[in-house]
Amino acid sequence: MLRQPLNRVQALLLSAAVLLLLFMATPGWLRLDGMPPSWSVLWLLPWAVVEGPWSGLMAGLVLGLAVDGLHGDGLTTLPALVLLGLWWGQFRDARRPLERSTTLGLQALLGTLLLNGSLALQLFWRGEVMLLAWQFTAAQALLTALLAPMLCSLQLLFWRRVATRYGR
Amino acid sequence: MALGRRLNRLLDRSLVLSTGPWLVVLAVVLGIRLSKGAPLADLYAQFSRPFWPGTAQSEWLQQASDLESQQRIALLEGELARLQDDRAQRQQSGPWITAPVISRRIEGWWQQLELGTGALAGIKPGAVVTGPGGVLGRVASVTPTTARVTLLTDPSSRVGVELQGNRGHGLLLGEGISRPRLKFLNNDVTVQPGDVVVTSKASSLFPANLIIGVVQSVDTQAGPAPEGLVQLSAPVESIDWVRVR
Repeated sequence: MLRQPLNRVQALLLSAAVLLLLFMATPGWLRLDGMPPSWSVLWLLPWAVVEGPWSGLMAGLVLGLAVDGLHGDGLTTLPALVLLGLWWGQFRDARRPLERSTTLGLQALLGTLLLNGSLALQLFWRGEVMLLAWQFTAAQALLTALLAPMLCSLQLLFWRRVATRYGR
Repeated sequence: MALGRRLNRLLDRSLVLSTGPWLVVLAVVLGIRLSKGAPLADLYAQFSRPFWPGTAQSEWLQQASDLESQQRIALLEGELARLQDDRAQRQQSGPWITAPVISRRIEGWWQQLELGTGALAGIKPGAVVTGPGGVLGRVASVTPTTARVTLLTDPSSRVGVELQGNRGHGLLLGEGISRPRLKFLNNDVTVQPGDVVVTSKASSLFPANLIIGVVQSVDTQAGPAPEGLVQLSAPVESIDWVRVR
């Protein structure tokens, strides 16, 4: 595919740049009801599944801080992403490779619901009102779950290749 | 026992050493978080520079601003004497800065715009952001080359407003949909769909008498005071250039 295979740092930097671009400007045709898919979930899931709970937790922390930085003060995605990284890291030692099943879509669906649920809870605590929260949470969860089997399995294979070259 | 072994494996020294790079990344991102995403926003601004909106709307905006200020002079002439000793009015100083919209996040949990002009051009946090038609929101934070705008529709947005002509005072609350809710402060207000909503003279966040929108529907049965939904006059979805002061 690439003449000179990427090393892990290059791959991480590249995926971070792509993530930043997608995050700030999701193209219109990738949206459902105006909602973009949850890019944090789509990136974190394959990374945690390949690298394990510890890396998943760290990645969740890093991702959460970055996402919160992009949104300014207020709601935080940090705790949900850390939990998701830790949870999905448990699948590293799963007996059946995750990319061969429909589990990826289901995991992404649950992850997106958890992420949005944590935001809804914070908004509730702050006493602010968000109409249509159910509607766009459902839209985002569906879209993320639809994209996950495709995007996450590709990333899974990619991270696995990058990881095994370094003899984890 | 199994828990002890698990904990032991988690605190393994080689594991802790191998997380060194992670800690560096963590420190960097913590810096990014503390600066409210400043390096990321600047990086994004550089990435996306070739795709920024064209200048046509910017010129049109400047032409429109002349016309708008003429109308505003006519509108405010009668009230000028009273407004002169108004603190909010005195804060309204300096020229308007024109800025392109480089990212639009007007769905989901946040209602934000990212502008391609920042502190280097003189934008400060708290500045008012308007588009053709009316007020859009306030600048929440700035970086050297970008500014983040919290829109009036954001759940955290609370703005003091009144009906044009110094009638009913109220509070405009964002609820995440394109029409914020207007809650009046007292009961004896006569409001009809079509009334124009402007920023309040009592507001310390916004200069007075900027046009926000039009009352679209009224619920007179709501307690303790009437409520209404306001259609904003500046179309957030299609604005490519805004003015900041």
